[in-house]
Amino acid sequence: MNAGLLLDLLLALAVLGTAAWTLLARTAFAAVIGFVATGLLLTLVWVRLGAVDVALTEAAIGAGATGVIILYVVARLRGGEAEISAATPNPVQRILAALLALAVGGLLAWGVLNLPDPAPSLAEAALAGTAPLGLGNPVSAVLMAHRGLDTLLEAIVLVFAVLAVWSMAADHRWGGAPGPVFPRADHGPLSLLARILPPVGIVIGIYIAWVGTDAPGGKFQGGTILAAMWVLPWIAGLARPPSVTDWRLRLMIAIGPLTFLGVGLAGFLIADGFLAYPAGFAKPLILLIEAAMTLSVAAALACLIAGPPERRRRA
Amino acid sequence: MTEILLAAAVLVLLTVLAGLWRVLRGPRRADRLMAAQLLCTGGIAALLLVAGASGSAAILDVALLLALLGAFTSVAFVMAARLIGR
Repeated sequence: MNAGLLLDLLLALAVLGTAAWTLLARTAFAAVIGFVATGLLLTLVWVRLGAVDVALTEAAIGAGATGVIILYVVARLRGGEAEISAATPNPVQRILAALLALAVGGLLAWGVLNLPDPAPSLAEAALAGTAPLGLGNPVSAVLMAHRGLDTLLEAIVLVFAVLAVWSMAADHRWGGAPGPVFPRADHGPLSLLARILPPVGIVIGIYIAWVGTDAPGGKFQGGTILAAMWVLPWIAGLARPPSVTDWRLRLMIAIGPLTFLGVGLAGFLIADGFLAYPAGFAKPLILLIEAAMTLSVAAALACLIAGPPERRRRA
Repeated sequence: MTEILLAAAVLVLLTVLAGLWRVLRGPRRADRLMAAQLLCTGGIAALLLVAGASGSAAILDVALLLALLGAFTSVAFVMAARLIGR
């Protein structure tokens, strides 16, 4: 039997198995571990499908951000049974949701199985439009040039997500530092890891963001790694988050979308219109946006992980 | 050669799935955590083998990223387990 086919079959079964187990898990902690395991296997699935960009995102977001955020939710919801049961949908709602999900999934599967052969594709057009921009990665060309508006809106959504988290703060805590305070770990594995991993991780994060124009990678993946490298010393008690009113933090969160918007508006003057790039200058401008966006993604994700301000402002 | 590398990836994946049994069964959180780490390590091995089979250097970046964040995830697990355990 073909080894590649066997690998794909095994992966598909494993993903379905872990996904089903995650849904049926009895404790929240077990469900999170199942979720992270599913994400890990999905990374392999994306690689096998040839979508290395998506695999990188899944690896960075799944292992670096979502797992941590959900784990914190689990840890902080302990003792809050009344709130959890109030927010849990009743059985009828759950059955309706399951039916809806089955119907959507079934329709999608039916659609994919009934595609004409060869399937309609814009891959040729995207590939043809990549080289004139000076980029080597067609995914980046689509994200930054052909569908730049979608990416701009995604970038702005990140800022609103941070605003939504911050708006959860109690009035008297506004202006304080976000998140819980961790006791300082001066010895032990956590302290060692928090000192040794970030220098390596920051280089890898910048590399992944930089390489994005020519190979799989980019701002979201790179920014996520950078955020994870800040979260590590924060958990070890070695780093303190800045106050939510600190203008440097706010500038860092907003600089990416602002740069994107600025370059987009400049397109009216120096190119054909909004979010258009002048010929020959596309790659430097895209790299400028990507660099600013990497900073913003890192700051926004770190703020999303840390949560709303929990301490009083220091007088 | 490609077939051999992919067959090796299948073997690695099979051993990892045996470890996945631990993730699912537990019973303790530490068992789940260690098995999840094994899954991460095995995933990196499988990615490297697939990268060798397909000749794509970008897959190495995915393996690099998993190697970096695998350790990070275990830190988050330990912290959350301590918060829950209290």
